[in-house]
Amino acid sequence: MQCVLLGAVTELRATTHTIEFPYTRTLGPVIGSFFTGLRDRRILGIRAGDRVLVPPLEYDPETGDALKPDFVEVGPAGTVTSWSWVTKPTRKHPLDRPFGFALIRLDGADTAMVHAVDAGSIDRMQTGMRVTPRWRDERKGRIDDIECFVPEGGAA
Amino acid sequence: MAALKDVAIIGYAQARNERQAQATEVQFLFPVINEALEMSKIPRREIGFTCAGSCDYLSGQTFAFVMNLEAVGAWPPISESHVEMDGAWALYEAWVRLQHEDIDTALVFGSGKSSPGNPAEIYPLQMDPYTLTPLGFDPVSSAAIQARALLDAGKVTERQMAEIAARSRRDAMKNPYAQVTGEFDVDELLAQPYVTAPLRKHDLPPISDGACAVVLATGDKAREVCERPAWIRGIDHRIEAHQPGMRDLTTSRSTRLAGEAAGVGSAPIEVAELSATFTHQEPILREALGLGDQVAINPSGGALSANPVMAVGLARIAEAAKQIVEGGRRRTLGHATSGMCLQQNLVCVLEGEQ
Amino acid sequence: MTDTAGNATTTSGDEPVTMMEYFMQLEYSDVVSAPVMRFRDALMDARLIAQQCPKCKLVYVPPKGYCPIDTVELDERNEIQLADRGVVTNYTVVTPVQYYGQKETEPFVRASILLDPPGGMLILQDVLDIPVAEVRAGMRVEAVWAPKGERDVDEIGNRSGSALEGSLRGFRPTGEPDMPAEAFSDKVW
Repeated sequence: MQCVLLGAVTELRATTHTIEFPYTRTLGPVIGSFFTGLRDRRILGIRAGDRVLVPPLEYDPETGDALKPDFVEVGPAGTVTSWSWVTKPTRKHPLDRPFGFALIRLDGADTAMVHAVDAGSIDRMQTGMRVTPRWRDERKGRIDDIECFVPEGGAA
Repeated sequence: MAALKDVAIIGYAQARNERQAQATEVQFLFPVINEALEMSKIPRREIGFTCAGSCDYLSGQTFAFVMNLEAVGAWPPISESHVEMDGAWALYEAWVRLQHEDIDTALVFGSGKSSPGNPAEIYPLQMDPYTLTPLGFDPVSSAAIQARALLDAGKVTERQMAEIAARSRRDAMKNPYAQVTGEFDVDELLAQPYVTAPLRKHDLPPISDGACAVVLATGDKAREVCERPAWIRGIDHRIEAHQPGMRDLTTSRSTRLAGEAAGVGSAPIEVAELSATFTHQEPILREALGLGDQVAINPSGGALSANPVMAVGLARIAEAAKQIVEGGRRRTLGHATSGMCLQQNLVCVLEGEQ
Repeated sequence: MTDTAGNATTTSGDEPVTMMEYFMQLEYSDVVSAPVMRFRDALMDARLIAQQCPKCKLVYVPPKGYCPIDTVELDERNEIQLADRGVVTNYTVVTPVQYYGQKETEPFVRASILLDPPGGMLILQDVLDIPVAEVRAGMRVEAVWAPKGERDVDEIGNRSGSALEGSLRGFRPTGEPDMPAEAFSDKVW
């Protein structure tokens, strides 16, 4: 396939290429437990000292020390700690309409996780807003088993 | 530990950044490497070590980094290495390599042809593959989250961000390699719509095809070939947690630590070239490095006027060196970053002799 | 779906989740460089062109705008016309494994062709009109061009290398006597 690009002076031609890699990843005991929880509509964090990390990591990012698989259920609702508003989603984004990417600190967690917020309009987005997950009916044990979060007390 | 060898920048060159180069990456690297070597007065075949920074995903060509070596010369065989990072980290590796006794010169380059691909789809692949890549979490969205955190914290205003863009584009008018240049009215910039709120187009870097090369030499060798070498007095890099929700996005702890280790605060800095690829990252970096109002920030126009990914950080160091070699400055700083929201940072302090 | 040991890798019900699939796909649009544009134009006329380094005299086909040996830039002033016949200097028979993306199903030949003076090497060429088992080094061959109306260079870009099927279908035996190995043994690839 090719396309024609009209340059100011000369006509540029381009060739197109697609690269594809089908990956199958092992998850390990921590992400595996997190994803097993998502499949079962539960969100798990991991204890790191006095803190609860979500999404859970295998190590404490402050010290680098390995963490014991001590999981604790958090959320499912949470608070937006920061956000952006995507006006033109790419084909790789979770939603095909304008949405917010947000850092969401789930109730009971000490860190925030990234996910999409389907708020309908930028006017409904604000730091400190409460959100709750919209689960997929068919869950596979993936981060996008949560289709997105929605404002608490009513979807967009 | 043995004393560190003095290493200086004695040659540098950049490609004119373009939104879409018809030349291949090797083609536009060719004159850049030739020019840097020429400036250094070191014959190509006497270079002791070569190190490059690039990313095959940008142009989508497997082993593009090997092809780039054709611009260095395919014969005779050379001692070389490559980092899948900005050329600034290639410079760091070359600086380490020069600490060994056996060589006294090195060639470093960084190059990137971003125009063939779609950065919004490529960069999510460098994120956490379990929780971020499947969401297509892209650099503009993550930068926008960081900017929002900064706005919420009262550390910057949208007007200040637009002022940074206007200043960068104005300064870039004097930079022959820059891509986005000109006089822009801050009120008009602020009247533009958001691309990804709270970021407008002027808060974003351009997509650039470009390259930068730097030649390094140790002690006497540098003095022999260069009238006023830019001595590397400190260089360090640090990294933070990859999950953006696990660190304070309004500060850059890794930049602060790298700056302290590089000795930024031990004497006044006159010029700082910072890889602030988004407007709001400039105040974060200034604060982390303790750079006051007397420091000239990005007189080249910085990453907002040209963002050749994999070369932009090395270009900052080259610009900081230029301030000493050609501009007669005493002490300058170059900064490079990697990952999203300033996750990893490198600081290089340069000095000229009195 | 199962792994090599026959264990389920996707999960439903009560089994712990241990694996994750991710399909990565990226699309690129690469502007054709000036030397390759000229190469494409020549192919449409059933001609092969190259760039020759003025220093080492090496011939680069397709032209790429520089000589990596002497690190000099090359342009149309360094352009030369190539012969469209030559000798098979080396070859391999590929038995296709049906990995993801593989379209071939039967064994096929890929040969290195050293073109007659002024030279130039085309690698990974198809050899036509002869059974796979009879292809050999030293065999004299000539280009098989696509008929004028069918010639297509749209897919030839900076990274095509010697893959020119849309215009140059491959090479076929000329019937001339084989060349001795000494004539090309320093140029087998």
